[in-house]
Amino acid sequence: MNCEDILIQKMALIDGEKTELSDQQINEHLAICENCRQQIELLENTVGLLKRQKRRAQTADLWSAIEKQISAEPVEVFKIKWQPFVLLGVLLAVYKFAEMVPERDFGWALRVIPFVLVALLFGFLKENPFKINTELILEK
Amino acid sequence: MMDDSAAIEKCLKGEKDAFRYVVKRYQAQAVGHSTAILGNRQDALDAAQEAFIDAFQALKNFDREQRFYPWFYVLLRHRCYKMIAKKHAAENIEETEIIAPQNGLSNEDRMTLEKGLLSLSKEDREIITLKYLDGFSYDEIAGYLEIPRGTVMSRLFYARRQLQAKLTGKFH
Repeated sequence: MNCEDILIQKMALIDGEKTELSDQQINEHLAICENCRQQIELLENTVGLLKRQKRRAQTADLWSAIEKQISAEPVEVFKIKWQPFVLLGVLLAVYKFAEMVPERDFGWALRVIPFVLVALLFGFLKENPFKINTELILEK
Repeated sequence: MMDDSAAIEKCLKGEKDAFRYVVKRYQAQAVGHSTAILGNRQDALDAAQEAFIDAFQALKNFDREQRFYPWFYVLLRHRCYKMIAKKHAAENIEETEIIAPQNGLSNEDRMTLEKGLLSLSKEDREIITLKYLDGFSYDEIAGYLEIPRGTVMSRLFYARRQLQAKLTGKFH
């Protein structure tokens, strides 16, 4: 650990957060490093000042402007469309029966059918199965 | 009194007026946060308004088991950053007020601290205000900014050092 790492960890401790290093390990470094002690003292003063402040309460009345905009558009209600899934199930069952018909070899064309059906389903639902929805990443 | 989850459920059933409750509840907080990022009250109001509309349009993606505001904050900061990029300006900073007047700090010193905060980059100002003006933990900030906790720790350290350098010798 270099001085920079120690300073980062010490400031996290001052903020009351858990750190990788123990208080003792950090203080052992500070006991022998004058430069780090000086920097911590300066940073503590700044932090002490900040901690005594509060965010100013902002006045705002946004509703009337928002209401105008949202009243012009329909609400998109989330509903699961079950029909495409039933259709996919039926088609896959038909495919399975076709596959069991003896003495008929459709070769590779038959094997790609399930993939085509699933791709068509996603196409129909206008969903990209590889898209990561970043809006769904929330705090735990 | 209606809670967030009930209001959002009503919105999803087509009762747009229920969104009024959500807006009224969070608008002051949202404008406070967008002001800290943009450093400009008018832009902050515009960004918050757009973010609420984004939220309304994306309500079907919201997990009602989660709290509304952290989810909304992600949309809000995207709006703020988009606004900065659109204006092609580094940041349109003006004399604005982020810090509430408090006992124990003169107006002059408060203005010095405000100026110090406004002279920081938007990223530094955002993380410092989330930590010290809102009192969020590192884990909460990690959720708001969508970054790992370790990154919060280091970014906060460098932001504090920037601020400390700007404030050195300026207090009475």
